[in-house]
This record gives sequence, structure tokens and C-alpha cells, in this order.
Amino acid sequence: MQSRRRARRARATLGALLVSALAITSCSGNESGGGDNVIKVAYGSDYVFLSPDLAKQWWQKVADDFQAKNPGAKVELVPIPGGFTDIVSKLNLLYRNPSTAPDVAEIPDENLAGWVASEYLHPLDDYLSGADWWKRFPDSVKKQNTVNGHVYAVNHGENTNALWYNMPMFTKAGLPVPWEPKTWADVLAAADKIHQTQPDVWPMWLLGGTSGGTSALQFGAANLVAGSSAPTIFDDKTQKWVVDSPGLREVLAFYSDLAKKSLQAPSAQLLDPNNVVNSFKLMADQQAAIAVAGNYLGQVWTQSVCSPCFPQAPQTYGVAKLPTVNGTADPNIASVMGGWDLTIGADSKNPDLAWKFIDTAQSAENLISVANGAGWVPPDQSLWSDKRFSDAAPPFNEFFANLLPASKPLPNIPDFPVWATGLGMATGQIIQHPETPIDEAIKVMKDYVTGQLGADKVQTVQS
Amino acid sequence: MSTRVITAGTAVPGPDETSTLPHPSAPRHDRQRFQKASLPLLFPAAALLIVLFLAPIAYSFYLGFTNLKLTGATARHHRFTGLANVHRLISDGVFHESLYLTAIFVVGSGVVMTTVVALAMAVAMQRAPAAVSGVVGIVVMIAYMIPPVTIAIMWVAAGTPGGVITMLVGQSQADILHTYPMLLVSAANAWSLTGLAMLLFSAALRNIPADIVEAAQLENAGAIQRFTRITLPLLKPTIVTTVLLISLMSLANFAIVFLMTGGGPGTATMILPVYSYQQGFFFNDLAYGALIGNITVVITTIFSALFVRFSRRDS
Repeated sequence: MQSRRRARRARATLGALLVSALAITSCSGNESGGGDNVIKVAYGSDYVFLSPDLAKQWWQKVADDFQAKNPGAKVELVPIPGGFTDIVSKLNLLYRNPSTAPDVAEIPDENLAGWVASEYLHPLDDYLSGADWWKRFPDSVKKQNTVNGHVYAVNHGENTNALWYNMPMFTKAGLPVPWEPKTWADVLAAADKIHQTQPDVWPMWLLGGTSGGTSALQFGAANLVAGSSAPTIFDDKTQKWVVDSPGLREVLAFYSDLAKKSLQAPSAQLLDPNNVVNSFKLMADQQAAIAVAGNYLGQVWTQSVCSPCFPQAPQTYGVAKLPTVNGTADPNIASVMGGWDLTIGADSKNPDLAWKFIDTAQSAENLISVANGAGWVPPDQSLWSDKRFSDAAPPFNEFFANLLPASKPLPNIPDFPVWATGLGMATGQIIQHPETPIDEAIKVMKDYVTGQLGADKVQTVQS
Repeated sequence: MSTRVITAGTAVPGPDETSTLPHPSAPRHDRQRFQKASLPLLFPAAALLIVLFLAPIAYSFYLGFTNLKLTGATARHHRFTGLANVHRLISDGVFHESLYLTAIFVVGSGVVMTTVVALAMAVAMQRAPAAVSGVVGIVVMIAYMIPPVTIAIMWVAAGTPGGVITMLVGQSQADILHTYPMLLVSAANAWSLTGLAMLLFSAALRNIPADIVEAAQLENAGAIQRFTRITLPLLKPTIVTTVLLISLMSLANFAIVFLMTGGGPGTATMILPVYSYQQGFFFNDLAYGALIGNITVVITTIFSALFVRFSRRDS
């Protein structure tokens, strides 16, 4: 009798638990979005800006501006912590479910074509006709935001690259200041002169290897590829990746010359997974005489970002265009660009309101503040000489902004990281083993990319 | 005179107990049996296990046979592709290398480094004053408790120019981390796990009967003889279970390797968990990354089964 009573009580308790569980799950099963006037905005909270606080402040200000202009509209900010891969992965996972897909998202432009193919993004062509700021974007940026003839993203900040050189070290070595190298041979000669006169200094900072991911490639080897005699990375006609070309051989030969003559920074620094961020302090500590690096350094060292503070930067470092291999290209600039874009989700229930948010974010004031806070060049050409931007990190900001029209975008298709890893393996091999023949380094890259993508996805470009 | 059938595992009643023998059809109390009443009580744990563990693993196995990508045309509209990924896996040179590197990492750091060092420390601590063994125990446990991020930073600092290891080998500007990457990530892994293994060995050493050791001493057995003929044989079950446990923990150790080298330089430390992550989240190939992860799950399951089997035998 007692056991029967106990069993009944157990059944009742179990039933109550199940009902409670169902009630809880049904409550939490509601879609995360709010009403028609609420838009979800996803952004990288740690990685994209030069500090998490600056990111929070900027996005909150844009949300406040938007809500003030559009009474009744609400913004739900969705910060995504972590690094580059974390942001991309999280955004992809959010997009997979229409109930979690953001209305507006900040995405890296190297993934744009992949996301368009995923049917995650809403075309913006109809909205852009009324956007004055879009008309002031350089053609290179417009092209970067276009996939299959339609614009799916609008850039809100770009990185460009050039040579940073230490003026006191150049003076000590008897090298000219200002310095304007015309070819890669000029760069090597200057590095060699530094090495001979100041053996304790790292003559050249040029990132390589695989551990830094596509960021290290963007701020290192990709610039040389862009300035080589055969700069094609992905052949649009054949839809194949280039794994052996005169251009790639020139790039690897440059790395080889640096390594053989002991002109490169230590491998421990170049191959560190945090090599891009580490360079902020290493350069402020004046470890390297010449560096291939992005525009961000000038902004990183300002009082407002201070990571680290380096108020003597304008007196210490000069900047020069990285030339093309033989100096024969016009313009003689080797620079790739890469940045972050704003997009509208294909599943957005209110794309018009989402566009109004983007329009607010692209105001002159907001584009300048995001450029200064994230270490970017604003894509709107009219802002390059605006004192709020140019005086934020003089003379660097204006110099790097003017490189944007001549900078080349990197492929924005999903297999790009595989090709980037292949090139990283080749450069890493040379950095670690300076005697590596170019043929062997090319083979490392070719074998890896072929193994990952298949022989039908790669090609060799003959000289 | 009554006849009784004695089966294996059945207790034989004494002469005075024969009169209290239960009827053959009465419930037996000599072994645990399944009771239906326990089902509701097992339900919450079983549901959690199914929803949070078995279902995701089953889904991951399914994903390994699809063409799902993180981005691209098959991100939303993926389909079952049969053995296509398996064929790719079979011919994937980096995967073959990754299997080999994983074996080196697990055996080198888990089996050899951790076990040998932990056993040596446990034996040494056995005769050390209580204060010394207490301090050493605390120190090695701290090493075990430290988060992988901190361990990775410490070992990167120690293995790069100006670090402790480079100074110890007399080459302060050497880049040991990138010259011997597998050795260094294995050492970091072993360093983090030695504390746990040492505690397990210390507990087992305390259980070795003192009279056996004393008898051996009376027979003039030397220290080495006592260790090889008494200590090691009696520790064998603990050594086997510890090796399996440490191997399992090493197999799952993604963080230290990824943070120290990112799987590089090149593919020099591309162990299976790192390769799975690279394929899934860096190369956007979720299906292939899942398949590589599934291989790790299979290997881990084999180790787990062995661990459970040896643990039971040990107990």
C-alpha cells in the first residue's frame, strides 16, 4: 500500500516536472527578435576595434543616433566577442536560423562572396541610388562590395599597407630621408645597409607563416603578391587558384633574400600567432628598421587608443609606398586592402529600417570616428583630408588613405584561407630554413593547396 | 537431505543457514537487478545524456557524410554525400600526418613524459619529509589547475628567445618553440598533467603492503630489485589506468597546442583536434571538420572503453 502511494507520488512529481519543463521550453521558444520596429545589429565587440570600449561606444552612439532619427524604432545590439574566426563562425551560425539572423551585420569583406552564395545577404542596389556617400567611394572599394553584379555590402573602413621606416636608423645608416624606394631591390639594399651599420636592429619586419591566419597574409606577403609581375591569386575565368607563377616566385625570392642575408626579424616573432598585434609594441620599441605593415599603426599609437602610447611616432617613423617588383607598374604601388562591411540579412523582416541604420552609420561623423577607433581608412574619399581624420594620426592617416584607390582587394571566396595557408607554409618554410630553394617552397604550397582543394581547382601560370 | 545448485557468484550458505534458504521463486538479493521503479528516477539523467551528449555526437557523425559548409552554396542547402568525405580523408596527406602527429603527441607527452616524471616524483616523495611532499604536491597540483591559456603563454615565453628554456640550453637567442615545436607542445601538455598522475601514483604507492617490502629487504633485495619486482608489478593496474586517463586528456587537449603554435609551423603540430578546427572554422568546411572530429571521437571511445575495463579490473 505504502509502495503504491510512493509510486503515485513519484508519477505526480514526474508529471509536474515534465509540465514545468514544457512550460519553460515553450516560453524560451519565442523568437529572439522584437516587433517590426526592432532591428538586430551584430558586430565584433573585441577584435574589430582597437579596444572593446571604443567598439561599445561607437555602436551605442550609432544606435542612439538612429533611434533619435527614427522615433519608435529600436536597436538590439548583438556584440560578438572573440577573434576573427570566432566572429565569422558566430555570424554564420546566427544566419543559419532566420529567427537569430541579424538585420544588420558587420562582416569582413574577405567572406562576402561566400555569404552571398549562402543566400544570407540582401542586395543593396536599390538603396544605394539615394546614398551620396556611396558615390564618393573609390571604384576599388565598390568593386570589392559587388558580387555577381550586385552590391551586397557597404564598406565602413579599410586597411591599406605600405613601408614604415625608422628615420633615426636610416640617418645613422646614411640612407636618405624621406625614403622613396622604386623597386624591391631598393628595399633589400636599404635593409642590407641597416644590417651592416646597426647589427642589433632587425632590418626588416615582413610577416609570414601560417599561424597569423589571413590577417598576417593581408599585412605581409599579399602586398608583395599584389606588386609582383603576375599578381593573380584566383583566376576568374578558369575558376582556379594560382599555386605557381612568376609572381609567386618573385615573392618567395624576396623572402629568401631577406632570410639568407639575415635581414628578417626573428622567426619567433614572425611566426607567432599574434604577430600582427605584437607588432604594435615591437615597432613602438623601435626593434625594426623597415616594416611592411598596415595603416593601423599610426592610430594604435595615438593618445586616444594608446596601445601602446607612442607620441614620438611622427618624428620616428616615415612611411613610403611599397613599390612593385621592378618599379614598372603605374602607379608603382603594391598594397592590398581589406576591411569590414555593413550588410542587411536576407531574412530581415524590415530591410528598409535596416538600411536607415546603415545610412546613419555611414554619416561623415560616424565614418571618421570608426576609422580612428578601429584603425581604418574611411571609404568616403571626401573624408581623407578632413581634419578630424587626418589630424587624428598625422601624417600617417592621409598618406594611407591616398593608397586606397590603387590598393587591390583579396579574393572574397570561401576557399581563400586554403590558398593563404599554402602561401603561409611556403613563406614560413623560408623564414625557418633560409636555404630552402624557391622550387621547394613552391612545391610546399602547390602540394598543400592541391591536396586540400583537388588538382582541378589549381593552376600554374607560366612566365 | 536437500540438494542445492551452486552457480558462479552465488554465496554458499553455511550449515546453520540452510533452514533459511529462500524459495527458488522468491526474489534474489545476491545481485542487483533492474527495477522498473527506477526508470522515472533515471529519466532526467538519461534525457540530459541523450540530448546533450549522444544526440550531438550522432548529428556530428551525420554531418561528416554531408557537404555542409560554413559559408557558400551548401551552407543552407547541404545534402548527404555518402562516402565522398571519407574518400577525401583517405587520400588527404595532411590527415595522415595529423594522425601520426597525434600519436606522437599522445604517446610522447601523455604516456612517456607524464607517466615517467609523475612516477619518479611519486616514488621520490614517498620517502620525503611530510612538509616537502606537501609543498611538492601543492606545486604540481597548481600546474594541473592552471588554465591552458596561461600554460600556453608561459611555455611560449620559455621557448622563444630570452626565455627560460633557451637560457637553460645555453642559446638565449634560439627559437626552440619553432625549431622543435612538437617537443615543446608535448612538454607543456605533460607539465600540465604530471600533477594529476603523481597524485594517482602516490595514492597507489601508499597501498603497497609494507610487509612485502620488509620481507624483500630481509632477503637482501636492493632498491632497484624492490622497485622492479614489487613496486612496479603492484602498481601495474594504476599505471595502465593512469596512462589511459592521461592519453584521453591529451587527445582532447586542443587549447595548449592551438594557442602555442596554431598547428604550425606549417603542419608540424597539426594534431587531430586542431586540424578538425582548421577545416571546420578556418577553411569553412564544417562537414569535413566534423568527419575528422568523428575520428577523434572513435579513438577516444576506444581509449575510454579500455580505461573503464582496466579500472574495473583494478578495483
